Amino acid sequence: MNENDVILEVRKINKEFPGVKALNGVDLILRRGEVQALVGENGAGKSTLIKILAGVYRKDAGEILFEGTPLELHSAHDSLQRGIKVVFQELALVPQLSVAENVFLESFPLKRGGAIDWRAMNGKTQEILSSINLDLNPSRKVSSLTISQQQMVEIARALSHEAKVVIMDEPTSALTPNEVRSLFEVIRRLKALGIGILYVTHKLEEVFELCDRVTVFRDGQLVSSRAVPETNTNEVVTDMVGRAITTLFPRTHSVRGEPVLTVRGLSTDKKLKGVSFEVHAGEVVGIFGLLGAGRTELARAIFGLDPAIAGELELRGRKLRLGSTSHSAHAGLGLLTEDRKGEGLVLQMSVAQNMTLPSVREFARFGLIRAKEENSRSQEYVQRLAIKTPSLRHKVEYLSGGNQQKVLLARWLMKKLEVIILDEPTRGIDVGAKAEIHKLIDELAMAGLAVMVLTSEMPELLGVSDRILVMSGGRITGEFGREEATQEKILAAAIA
Amino acid sequence: MSQNAVNRGTARLSLARFGELGLLAVLVALFLVFTFSSKYFFTPKNLSNVLGQISLTMVSAVGLSLLVISGEVDISIGSLQAVVALPLVLVMNATGSFWLGVLPALAVGVLIGIINGLLVTRLKINSLIVTLGMYYLLRGFVYLVTGKVPISDQSGKDLFFMVGNGKLFRFLPYMALLMIVIVVVFMYVLRHTTYGRRLYAVGGSPEVARAVGINPERLKLSAFILCSLLSTVSAILLASRLSSANHMAGQGFEFQVVAAIVLGGVSLAGGVGNLLGALIGVLILGLIQNGLSLMNVGTQYQLVITGAIIILAVAVDELKKRHG
Repeated sequence: MNENDVILEVRKINKEFPGVKALNGVDLILRRGEVQALVGENGAGKSTLIKILAGVYRKDAGEILFEGTPLELHSAHDSLQRGIKVVFQELALVPQLSVAENVFLESFPLKRGGAIDWRAMNGKTQEILSSINLDLNPSRKVSSLTISQQQMVEIARALSHEAKVVIMDEPTSALTPNEVRSLFEVIRRLKALGIGILYVTHKLEEVFELCDRVTVFRDGQLVSSRAVPETNTNEVVTDMVGRAITTLFPRTHSVRGEPVLTVRGLSTDKKLKGVSFEVHAGEVVGIFGLLGAGRTELARAIFGLDPAIAGELELRGRKLRLGSTSHSAHAGLGLLTEDRKGEGLVLQMSVAQNMTLPSVREFARFGLIRAKEENSRSQEYVQRLAIKTPSLRHKVEYLSGGNQQKVLLARWLMKKLEVIILDEPTRGIDVGAKAEIHKLIDELAMAGLAVMVLTSEMPELLGVSDRILVMSGGRITGEFGREEATQEKILAAAIA
Repeated sequence: MSQNAVNRGTARLSLARFGELGLLAVLVALFLVFTFSSKYFFTPKNLSNVLGQISLTMVSAVGLSLLVISGEVDISIGSLQAVVALPLVLVMNATGSFWLGVLPALAVGVLIGIINGLLVTRLKINSLIVTLGMYYLLRGFVYLVTGKVPISDQSGKDLFFMVGNGKLFRFLPYMALLMIVIVVVFMYVLRHTTYGRRLYAVGGSPEVARAVGINPERLKLSAFILCSLLSTVSAILLASRLSSANHMAGQGFEFQVVAAIVLGGVSLAGGVGNLLGALIGVLILGLIQNGLSLMNVGTQYQLVITGAIIILAVAVDELKKRHG
C-alpha cells in the first residue's frame, strides 16, 4: 500500500487519569478506505483513544498526524473542522430540530444578509443522504427517528463536513439485525468514498464481516494490529484477554426446585398482554424476544418499575404488591435494568457505595452501616468480576464504561435475593468478564435462586438457560426446554 | 483497608471537600481581618453574640442541607419561623407552660413540612415553586392573624427566656450547645446510616434510587419534614430572643440559609455536600455580617459584599470541578 494512503497516524500517545494509565505509548495507522476495528476489554483504552481523536480529552504526550501534518485538538469542534467525525453511542443530535438542521448544525448555509438558506440546506442534505443510499426526509424532526436513523444523520453530518475519518463507537449495540445490515451498507459506501473508518466494537462477528484490519488494545497498550484475512477469532480473543478462553457458558446440571416466582396475567397499558409463567428455585429461565416484543417491559412490570394494569405476582406463595420497587426489593427481587445510563449509577457516589445501594441494609444494624462488612463484601466482588478501580472509594464516575457495567451487576449479585432478573447482563462487557458472569449466573441458580436472563444474544440464551420463553407482541409465544431449544425454533416463535 | 474507608472515602473524594479547605482558609482570613480591623470583634461579648446568631442559622441549615442533598429545596422556612411562633407564644401565654407551647409549635412545623412534601412528591410540582407559594402564604397568614403587631410573651417563664438567651459560663450560649448536638447527630446520620446513604442516592439520581428499591417520594417527604422540624426548633430559639411572636421574624432568613449551605458546598442539584461544609458556610456569612457591622460598614455595602462572596465561592468551586 502506498505511503500516501495513510490518512491518520497516532504516535506514542499517552494519557493518564487519576490512578489509571489509560493509554501508554500507542501507535496506530489508518489508511484511506480502510475499516479498522478497535477491540479490547473494557478499560483497555479504546474509548480514551477515540475521545482524544474527538477532541474531548487532551493527550498527555505523543503526536497525531493527519494527512502527514501534526494536529492539535482542543475541542470537538476542532476535530470536526479538521475532518474527523466521531459517532458516539450517545448521539450528539438536537432532537427538536430537523434532519437537515442537525446535519448542518455547525455551519448553516446562509443567504446573503445572514438568513438561513433553507432550500440549499435541505437540498444538500438530500444529496448527502442519497450518496449513502438513504431514504430520509431532510425536514423530519430528529426526535421522530429511530436510533438507527439518527446514527445515519450523524454520519450525514460527517459527510457535510467532508470528513476523512469517521470513528464509530459500538454503533450496533442498540440496533436490530436489519438495521445493522443497512449500517454496514452505509459503512461500505463510506469506504468506497475513500474515508478511513475506526470501528470500536465488542462483537467479533462484526469484525470479520466488515473490517479490513483488527487492532487489539489491552491495558492501555496496542497489542496487535492484523489484517483481517490473516487472522481468526481465537487469535484476536487471546490478544484481548492475554490468555486463551476455554469455558464459555458453563451450565452445570441443576436441580429444579419448587416454584418461586409465579406471574399470572400480567398486563401493562402499553405492551404486556396477560403474561403468565413460573420460575422455579435453581432454574435459569432465558427470555428472548425481538426489539419491541416486551421483554424489558415484562422485567420492569415484575419489579415494579412500571405500573401494571392487571395481573398477579406471587413469591413463594405470598402475594407481591405491584408497582412498588421498594416492596419488591424488600421481598427479595432484584432487577438489573436495561437502561444503564438513567437507572444505573449514582455518579457522585463511590464504587462501593454504588455496589451496595440495594443491599446496604444487610450490612446495617438499626440503620447504622457497618463499614467493615460493606468493604469486605464489595472487595470480594471487585475481585470476582475483575473490576478495574484504584480503590473502593474511587468515584464510580471515573471508571471506564465496562467497569461501570460490572459495578451494576455486582450490585445485584451481592444482595441476598430469591429472584434475580438480569436484563442484558453481558451487554458492553468484555469476553473475559462475560465468562465470569455466565459462571456467576450458574452459581446463583445452584444456590437456589430463581434466575431470569433477558438477552438478545442467541448463543448466550442457549448457553445459560434451563428453559427458554420467547415473547412476541407482549405475549409469550413459545417455551422450550434446554434440550429441545434451537435457534430456528426460537426465531420462529419470536416472529409469531 | 481501614474500618470506615468507604464512608470517609466519599467525604474525601467529594469536590465539596476540596472546597472546604479553601473555605476554611477564607474563614480564618476573615477572622484575622476582623480581629485587626475592629477592637470590638475579638471580645468575649461579641464572639458569644456571633455564636448565638450562627446557631440560629445553623440549626435550620442542617435541615435544609438534608433536604437539598435529597434534591429538593424549601424557601418557606423563614415564613415558617413566624408562623410556628404563634402557637408557641399563644399557648404559653394561656397555659404558662413552655413545653405545652413547644408541642403545638412543633406540630404546626411538621404539618407545614408534610404539606410542602406532599405537594412536591405527589403532584410532582417543583419544590422551589411550592415553597415560594408557601413563603408568601404563610407570611400573609401571620400578618392576618397578628394584625402586624408582635404578640409578646406574658408567661414570664424563665425557661423560655433561657433557651435563647442563656449562656454557659456567661459565654457559651445554650443555643450553641443545642446546635452542636444537632450538627453532630446529623453528621453521623448522613455518613453512617442507611438513611443518609439513601438521601444521597435519591438526590444523586431519583431514577437510580427507584431502580434499586428505594422509594424516592417517601424519602423526600421525610426530608421535608425534618427540614421544617429543625426550622421550627430554630424558630423557638428566635422567639425566645425576641421574647415574642413577631410577624417580621425570619424575614430573609430562608435566603441566608440557602446562601450559607451553597457556599459550604451543598449542591442545589442534589446528592452532594455535607454538614461540615454547611457549617463553614454559615460561619463565614455570620462573621461577615458581624464583622462588617462592627466596622461600621453600611448595610448597602454589606449586601454587596455578601452577594459577591457567594458568587465568587460558587464560581471557584465550579472552576475547580472543571479542571478536576
